Amino acid sequence: MHPAPSPRAVEPTTRHHRTAFPASGLRRRLLAALVAVPLALAAAACGDDGGGGAAADPNKPVELSIFWWGAEGRAKLTEEALALYTKKHPNVTFKKTWQANQGYFDKLATLTAGGDAPDIFQIDDNYLTEYASRNVTLDLMSYKDSGKLDVSKFPESLWNYGVVDGKLAGVAFGENTQGLVFNKTLLDKFKLPVPTTGQSWDEHIAWAANVSKTAKVPGTQDPSADYKAFWVWLRQQGKDLYKDKALGFTEQDVAGWFTLWQGARTAGATPTPDVIHEGNVTDISKQLVVTGKAGTSWVWANQMPELKKNTKDELGVVAYPGDPSAQWARASMYFSVFRGTEHKDIAVDVINFLSNDPEAAKVLGTDRGLPSNLDIRKAVSETVSDANMKQSIAVQTELGAKFGASPQVPLKGHSKVRSELIKAAEEVQFGRQSPAEAAKAYFAACQAAIGA
Amino acid sequence: MAISTAPPAALPTGPASPGPASRRGRGGPRRRENLAGYVFLSPWLLGLMGITAIPMLLSLYLSFTNYDALSPFSEVEWIGLDNYRTMFTSDPSFWHAVEVTVTFALIAVPLKLAAALGVALLLNRAFRGVGLFRGLFYLPSLLGGSVALAIVWVNMFNRDGAFNSLLGLFGVEGAPWVNDPRWSLETLMALAIWQFGAPMVIFLAGLKQIPVELYEAASVDGANAWRQFRAVTLPMLSPVIFFNLVLETINGFQGFTAAFVLSNGTGGPVDSTLMYTLNLYIKGFTELQMGYASALAWVFLVAIALITVVLFSTGRFWVHYADGEDR
Repeated sequence: MHPAPSPRAVEPTTRHHRTAFPASGLRRRLLAALVAVPLALAAAACGDDGGGGAAADPNKPVELSIFWWGAEGRAKLTEEALALYTKKHPNVTFKKTWQANQGYFDKLATLTAGGDAPDIFQIDDNYLTEYASRNVTLDLMSYKDSGKLDVSKFPESLWNYGVVDGKLAGVAFGENTQGLVFNKTLLDKFKLPVPTTGQSWDEHIAWAANVSKTAKVPGTQDPSADYKAFWVWLRQQGKDLYKDKALGFTEQDVAGWFTLWQGARTAGATPTPDVIHEGNVTDISKQLVVTGKAGTSWVWANQMPELKKNTKDELGVVAYPGDPSAQWARASMYFSVFRGTEHKDIAVDVINFLSNDPEAAKVLGTDRGLPSNLDIRKAVSETVSDANMKQSIAVQTELGAKFGASPQVPLKGHSKVRSELIKAAEEVQFGRQSPAEAAKAYFAACQAAIGA
Repeated sequence: MAISTAPPAALPTGPASPGPASRRGRGGPRRRENLAGYVFLSPWLLGLMGITAIPMLLSLYLSFTNYDALSPFSEVEWIGLDNYRTMFTSDPSFWHAVEVTVTFALIAVPLKLAAALGVALLLNRAFRGVGLFRGLFYLPSLLGGSVALAIVWVNMFNRDGAFNSLLGLFGVEGAPWVNDPRWSLETLMALAIWQFGAPMVIFLAGLKQIPVELYEAASVDGANAWRQFRAVTLPMLSPVIFFNLVLETINGFQGFTAAFVLSNGTGGPVDSTLMYTLNLYIKGFTELQMGYASALAWVFLVAIALITVVLFSTGRFWVHYADGEDR
């Protein structure tokens, strides 16, 4: 626009104003906009820190957003339980969003970055520290102390597994533990013995090699890329995945782990690398034990019902090989409250309701793991009618008697520690690196990931 | 500029504008007209500002910070060139992703263009049902970068997928294509090449533009089919080839969907399908290094711009503009 002064141009006064300093004004305004936009976003993101929520009028209509991952079954149960809350508090309604696990955390991060995180969201120990250390989650400690959030019936170690740097970042919503799932139908067909809790790793591998030979189905998924199997194995050697702010293992430990499974592959105990890879990256519904590509898969015990939905075969579950006291009661997932929510008190009350209300707990069953509240856990295990949930309770109760102490909550960077393990293990599986080389690369990548 | 159908030079100014001299004199109405123009443009301008320009500038700013997507902007720290330094000196995944992407583009783009040109030449003749064949060959492009297509592709190239069954008919034992790091990138290339419909249609349009007299003259001179292709078709088609080359190169570098679906968002097996954009996505959204991912994005933008400039500068030597003798 050339502001050619024209005597005939009849302009509103503002227009004169603008033509007076044309270029610099525009530039300044653009600059101002550039500076203002991030500032405004920042203000929105960190605003209302101390707000007490909707305490003013308890009957004011409130809509809370809630976000979780899971399958359709979980959605149905959760919606039912939330409806119970609305029945008791008619002014509170929910905006429910759920999706499959894959992509869940991408979406949660995007929502959070936009300052638009859900009021209540499901999270697991992969990301709890990431979110807590960046103050995305509301510290629930004061609610716990005042009793508005009742965790008195939780096992001590379980609610503690939601504490990051002294802040209660998430409420453990269900307890689970590692489970080695096997295809019982297949084993019975060939009159093969089932794996047992307490078998050694070598015994397990020998057993699997025998299954491969007899049943012509690879005996066991190769778990060398599976962080939870690696973790249990480490704990059996007196090590751990993390120790304080550092790694709890050495490069030699990793090499030992990779070598163990290299031997298993040579012995024919596992599928071929490409099939192992399939098992490494697919979600729970396509684990090899379900798709018939291996005799066993390495999962969390509360995933049994989901596995069973996808196969006609009968499945059984035992502890991972080695001393079962290396396993622990892990919070399968948490519910956290967004620190920027306008309805802190109500959001906490909803979580409290879902955790401790007998009716709601009955609806939710063991879908997210064994109920955290021990009274409710007892009640649910006595009354549950779903056969899959029944089995899952029985197994976890049995394993629960042998548990050791919980490890610390994983450090920031845990998800990278997991994904790098897949990469390193696959380098060995595909024969592109020796166990020692892969271990060296993995150890360095882990150091970088946790910032050590 | 490279396309044979040159767009009209500028918007016609309407019948009432006699010439530049009188235009200056009638500033008022002219300016009103301008204003109206801007008003009509405003939806697009707002879109450009809001969806493209401002986010881009923000990401440029973020590329000099340690922004992690979760912390509020107020806690973002300016770290200068650290992201860029990390990228070039101490992040092996960056160089690996560059290698994967360049390999992909170097092989997939020429093969895709060759396939498109070959089929276009076949379909440029008159025979019964030619329309149907054109439609069929274009179909894969319609499905484009769709997720559904990528899923089908993964299942076709599994160990027990359709492709291996086909090979089995000939007694050949196939590989677990998508799940084997030796073949996974090639599987992605095959998918890209198979979708040659879009450049094919443009080639077809270009072929139709070549005057028949040239071929007649050539055959009078005794040129055989190959000679005609070399001496008439290729030079006359070179602007279209150039156009397709530039577009497909840019497309090739930006491949994301298929790699994401095939590897469940990991770039695996063992990073064999870690395309640049996928690496960027992982860094930004999975590892929450949004500042670093922004830096990756800007390096990518500059690299693609440079490649395009190089392509344009080589164009001078081989692109022949029949209607551009006066340039």
